[in-house]
Amino acid sequence: MATTHLQTDGTAPAAVPARSGTGTPATRWLGIATFALFALLLLLGLVTTPADVVQGESVRILYVHVGTVWVAYLAFIVTAISSAAYLSKRTRSLTWDRIAGASAEIGVLYMGVTLLTGSLWGRLSWGTFWVWDARVTTTAFMFITYIGYLAVRGLGGSHDQRARRSAVVALLAVVEIPLVHFSVKMWRSVHQDASVAGRTSDVTLDGQMLFALLVGTVAFTVMYVWYVLHRQRVLAMEDAIDDRGLDRALLERRNEAL
Amino acid sequence: MNLARTARLIAAKDLRVELRSRVVVNQVLPFAALVMVLFAFALDSESALKRTAPGLIWLGTIFSLLIVVQRSFAIETADGALDALRVAGVNPAGIFVGKSLALALQLLVLELLLVVLSVILYATTLDPAGAVLLVTTLVPATLGLAFVGTLYGGLAAGAKGRETLLPLLLFPVVAPVLIGATRATEAAFGVSGAATGEGWPWVGLLVIFATLFGVGGTLAFGPLIEE
Amino acid sequence: MKDLGFILLSYVSALGSTAALAWWVLRRGRTLARQVPDEDKSWT
Repeated sequence: MATTHLQTDGTAPAAVPARSGTGTPATRWLGIATFALFALLLLLGLVTTPADVVQGESVRILYVHVGTVWVAYLAFIVTAISSAAYLSKRTRSLTWDRIAGASAEIGVLYMGVTLLTGSLWGRLSWGTFWVWDARVTTTAFMFITYIGYLAVRGLGGSHDQRARRSAVVALLAVVEIPLVHFSVKMWRSVHQDASVAGRTSDVTLDGQMLFALLVGTVAFTVMYVWYVLHRQRVLAMEDAIDDRGLDRALLERRNEAL
Repeated sequence: MNLARTARLIAAKDLRVELRSRVVVNQVLPFAALVMVLFAFALDSESALKRTAPGLIWLGTIFSLLIVVQRSFAIETADGALDALRVAGVNPAGIFVGKSLALALQLLVLELLLVVLSVILYATTLDPAGAVLLVTTLVPATLGLAFVGTLYGGLAAGAKGRETLLPLLLFPVVAPVLIGATRATEAAFGVSGAATGEGWPWVGLLVIFATLFGVGGTLAFGPLIEE
Repeated sequence: MKDLGFILLSYVSALGSTAALAWWVLRRGRTLARQVPDEDKSWT
């Protein structure tokens, strides 16, 4: 961790940091790409693509919905892998913990957006805001589960405690989520609801519409990478400030004893 | 000291604490009974109650699970007992299994009470085949609940601001048990024309759940309670 | 028409929350960077 640069009287070094933020050339390029892709998505999604023959204008919602659901799932996979990387003694490093946390944050946000946009699309396409099938219900559960994960990260304690606890919770979630999906699937299959099965079958798109969908997916993915890079740097700084505060407190205590 | 012996000692300790303090018997069982009565007030229809009785039994169980888990860890954190066990080098996996078994036993008593109340208050019926299914359902369902309860209870135990986290963490995880146990119990009671045979796949689901979290919990408990 | 409202709400929530998140993380980055000496910034 950071070496202590406190002078013996406990004051901070006089130098003012030269780097004003968390940006680097890489993230600047990613940021520009994200912005451009979203602009393109807006153009394609709202203006240039035609309405669907079957669904009408509501298909436009899919161009953002599919992007956010894909990234939400990606984010949680990354959180799980980073959690495992932290717990493994060979690769233990708080950087993995911070990546896991950053990834889960944007994952929760996009999971929420997914549920909202999916609900709106469902209302337009089938007339209902909600449907009790395995996919939708599991998505809602993932949303709640990762809110819980973020709450565990906020419990306090040392950085290692935070990392360990949340890593375990994330990996348990990898067990829990498929179980929830499977049980809901079993449950709904009992009800033999043909109209439900029809509703959740995948929509086929082609040409311009497929391209818009792709742009949306790539746009949200690039945004995800951009965010995780920035956010884990912010978390590193927050941890560093924590550590310095601790160092300072220890130094003061030691000076008191002298 | 090996895992089995540790588990047995911890389980015995927890049960002895309950026998002496009678907190579950005096407070949680009445709470669960009260919940069953409140359901009747809310649903206000004898046919609806009879139809939903299996779900109400397991909802009552899950609400009570919260309290029993918090109690299970309150007795540890009160005097820093969990830390003392950990520092003394007691196998955390043994602590996990031991506390889970003690918790499971207490839950079993609670569930049996709720089944009896269901027969009395909701007029559900049970034939011999159904009884076999019910008893077989209770074992993996209870173990599953006990395992996840102990696991997340250990995480949420003690320090300020952590107790309110337990429901948020626990309830999503117990959903498969709620689904599976309710469906199996419906088959056992013959609710809505469900045949007893239909319950067995659900028992399978409950066994998978209990196994996964039994193993997962045994592995995860150590890192979780480490300070 | 209801369609347009829902469609706009979808785009506003998805892109709006994205923009808000981006703005927040950059701002937080700047605020903290002032308090943290460069040695602690591994990306410089």
